[in-house]
This record gives sequence, structure tokens and C-alpha cells, in this order.
Amino acid sequence: MYNNVGPQPGMPIPSGNPKPNPFGNAFYGPGSGLIRSGLGAYGEKILGSSSEYVQSNISGLLSDRQYYFQVNDQYVRNKLKLVLFPFLHRGHWTRISEPVGGRLSYKPPIYDINAPDLYIPLMAFGTYVVLAGLSLGLNGKFSPEALNWVFAKGLVGWMLQAMMMKVMLLLLGSGEAPILDIVAYAGYTYTGLCIAVAGRIIWGYSYYGLLPWTCLCSGIFLVKTMKRVLFAEVRSYDSSRHHYLLLVLALAQFPLLIWLGNISVNWLF
Amino acid sequence: MAKDFTVPPVVFPSGGTPATGNVQQRRAPTAPFQPPRPSSSAIPFMSFDIGSAAVASSAASVGPFGGTIASSSSFGGGAASFEDEEPLLDELGIHPDQIWKKTRSILNPFRINQSVHMDSDLSGPIFLYLAFCLFQLLAGKIQFGVILGWIVVSSIFLYVVFNMLAGRNGNLNLHTCTSLVGYCLLPVVILSAVSLFVPQGAGPVRFVLAAVFVLWSTRACSNLVVSLADGGDEHRGLIAYACFLIYTLFSLLVIF
Repeated sequence: MYNNVGPQPGMPIPSGNPKPNPFGNAFYGPGSGLIRSGLGAYGEKILGSSSEYVQSNISGLLSDRQYYFQVNDQYVRNKLKLVLFPFLHRGHWTRISEPVGGRLSYKPPIYDINAPDLYIPLMAFGTYVVLAGLSLGLNGKFSPEALNWVFAKGLVGWMLQAMMMKVMLLLLGSGEAPILDIVAYAGYTYTGLCIAVAGRIIWGYSYYGLLPWTCLCSGIFLVKTMKRVLFAEVRSYDSSRHHYLLLVLALAQFPLLIWLGNISVNWLF
Repeated sequence: MAKDFTVPPVVFPSGGTPATGNVQQRRAPTAPFQPPRPSSSAIPFMSFDIGSAAVASSAASVGPFGGTIASSSSFGGGAASFEDEEPLLDELGIHPDQIWKKTRSILNPFRINQSVHMDSDLSGPIFLYLAFCLFQLLAGKIQFGVILGWIVVSSIFLYVVFNMLAGRNGNLNLHTCTSLVGYCLLPVVILSAVSLFVPQGAGPVRFVLAAVFVLWSTRACSNLVVSLADGGDEHRGLIAYACFLIYTLFSLLVIF
């Protein structure tokens, strides 16, 4: 749920206002737009609105957690179909917003298939840990300590995914999406990962087909979601920059999911 | 050491006094240090009739010391006697018959009896945890800390998931949650006992056995949780999946 759609007080729109910075002479050319708006964004944040930034994110984290758990069976089924087969989705990807008390907020997940929720990522993460334990046991390497390492590795992978999306949002000029939304979107990749690990348990060679397919689906899902998030958040729509970053996000799924899917006793690889 | 007590002269109300000089010493034979007995029994206080009767009877034989001890023991004061103490299990809050009733209700996989689980206790789960650890020990795995940690973490997990799903009217509290997770561990305990006799190695028999017991546990736990706390009715499947994950985790400890 986005608490403020308009520009925050005290923080002018970054891209429409080229600030006079000491590096102003050095930035010419096509690649400089990214650097200029990136520095501009950070300039505002460092100068004084950082406390508002922290406050809006912390309040987004602590308040209204139950928005993300208003789910029911039908939503879970449809959302799983959406996450696992994103290319088959015929509808639109934007979240339905409704005016609530003068502010614009998004409908809860029961009413909107595109809204993020935290139940599916949490259960997918738990399923990943259990399946990883099963796979370790079938290879004869099960021990409770190994399962603890799998849990920690999964948490690190989740955080990496969320950080990647957050950095991408920051680079494109606005980082105002609620942190729990980003965490929820990042956790959806664990559903595909569970399918890949389950496939590996059932028949070893299916893993080599399921994993690239999972990476692809996860990439498509994240790209389509982030495109909508960016469209709602960022003022200037510089399409080439956006598209490059989205492509980087999709390509980064491959090493991340290969690392997470490789279940062994040592956690690094 | 002997003390000399002046025995007051016995005065019979019908007859006259034996000596004229003893009028002021006339008093009814009472035990020393008697508090005034209230006329009405407004204050529920144990009367001293027993004490005075004992004193009066033993004063002749034992003496005043025996009398005071008998009177003090009859009203159960500070240094109480052994018979009047509460039984140890009651004082600790462990009620074996209640534990047995609750355990027996889980044993029937087809009918869930939630009324016995209304008041939650943690002594049954502790007993089941010890039994589980004992069977694992017999299988050669020393996992006391692991199992306890996993019980705690999984009950917190179920507590969070249930209350978040139920929304505003979810009122599962952590004590009840831990109690239910612990009691529904009974099928896993039975699984660990049975799997001592099934040949080692990850054969299909172990998996099928584990699957049956895990499904039993899941069914019991999710039905109990949904029926004992508000707000979970329309989320049965979602909560059942969380319980399924928890008990699969425990069965992994047993299988491998």
C-alpha cells in the first residue's frame, strides 16, 4: 500500500530539476543520464529527506502487515498459476487502486490477483527448506546442521533478490515502494525453485530442464511486475534505461537460482 | 525440666466451693492461649474445639507441651504436617489423567475431540518430546536440542501464520499453539518408535509410513487449531499446509 503518491514534501522531483552539482561539467553523452539522475536522487536523500525516507519505509514495514495476509484458497491457486506460468496470463498486470480516505491505496489480495501477498512466499520458502532436506537425505548427507545451512542460504538468497530489486528502484530515481512489497515479490521465485528441486528429487535429469524454465518464468514475472511498479513510481519514463535494467534483473535470475538450487552441505556452492 | 502449674480448683456449678478462699481462682478448665471463640460463625475459621478437647484429654497424660503441639497441628499452621500438603503433581500443575485423556483423543485419527484440549498445558508436550528424543536415541541419533528448538520455532511459525491469516479476530495465543503442536507430535513419536523396526536406509516403506503418520498429525493439528481459536474457518487449507510443513520437517529427522 502506497501512503503517498504525490511528491514528498521537501523532496523535489529528481529528474525534472537538474541540480547544480560540482560534477556538472563532466556529464555529457548518452550514458550520463543514469549517473546524473542517480546522483540527483542520492543528493536529495543525503541532504535532508533521509529521515522521512527511513520513516516511511519503517512505517510501511511495521504497520499493516495484515494487508499481505488477506488471502484465500482461490487467490492462492490463481496466483500460483500466475507465478509459474506468467506467459499464459491474458489479463493486465496493474494493481487495482481505490481511493481510501483521500489517499490512493491498493486493493487487498483477495480482490486483486496482481497484489503481492506474503503467505505464498513464506510457504514457498518453507517448502524449499523441506524439499532441500529431503534431497539431502536422499543423497545421504542429511543432518540438522545441514538443514540449518540450507535455511540460512535461502534467507540470504531472498535478501539478495530483494536488494537487487530495491537497488534497481533506487537507481531509477525513486525508492518509495514499501519494503514488504519488494520482499513479497522477491519471495515468489521460491515457488519455481521448489518445483525445480522437486523435479530433481523425482528424476535427476529433469532438473536441467526445469531450472532454466524456472529462471525464465521468474524473470518474466519480475520484469512484468517491476515494469508496473516503475510506471507507478517514477516520474520520467526513460524507456531505454528502464529496459536495460529490467533485462539485467531478468538475467540475474539465472546465477541466483543456480546457486540456490544447488543443494549441498557447504553453503557457498 | 518440670514446671509447676498451679492447678486451679475444680468448681462444680451445682455444688458449693470446697474452700471459701478460692472464689477468685474459680475458672473453667481451658487450655492456655485460647483465643475468644466467636459467637457467630461469620468468619470461617477452624474452631478450636478439637484442640481444646485434645488438650483437655491430654493435659492429664502428656502435659501442656503435647497439648500445644496437637492444637497447632490440627489447624495446619506454619509447620504443617505431612498429610495436609498438596500432592506434588498438583502443585507442579501436572495432571496425569488430563494428559492421558488428551493423548488418547489424538490417538483416534478419524474423530477430533476438541473439548479436552480447551485448557492448554505444556507438560504433555514435554513428556511427548522426551519420548521422541528417547526413540531417536535408541536409533542412535542424539537430537535433544534440535528437536526442542524445532518445536519452539515451528510453534512460533504456526502462531504467526494463524494470527496473520485470521486478521483482526484471530485469538490464538502462543501457549495454546505450543500445546497443540506438542500434542499432535504424538503420531511422529509413534512413527519414530515403529521405524526402529523397519530396516534402515531410505526405502519406500519408510516413506510411505512417514507419509501416513505425517498426514495424521497434520489433520489432527489443523482441525484442533481451527476449532479452538477464532477466525480460522475459511483458511483451513492454508493452515493445514503450514502444519504439514512442520510435521514433514520432524519426520525428516526420523527417516534420515
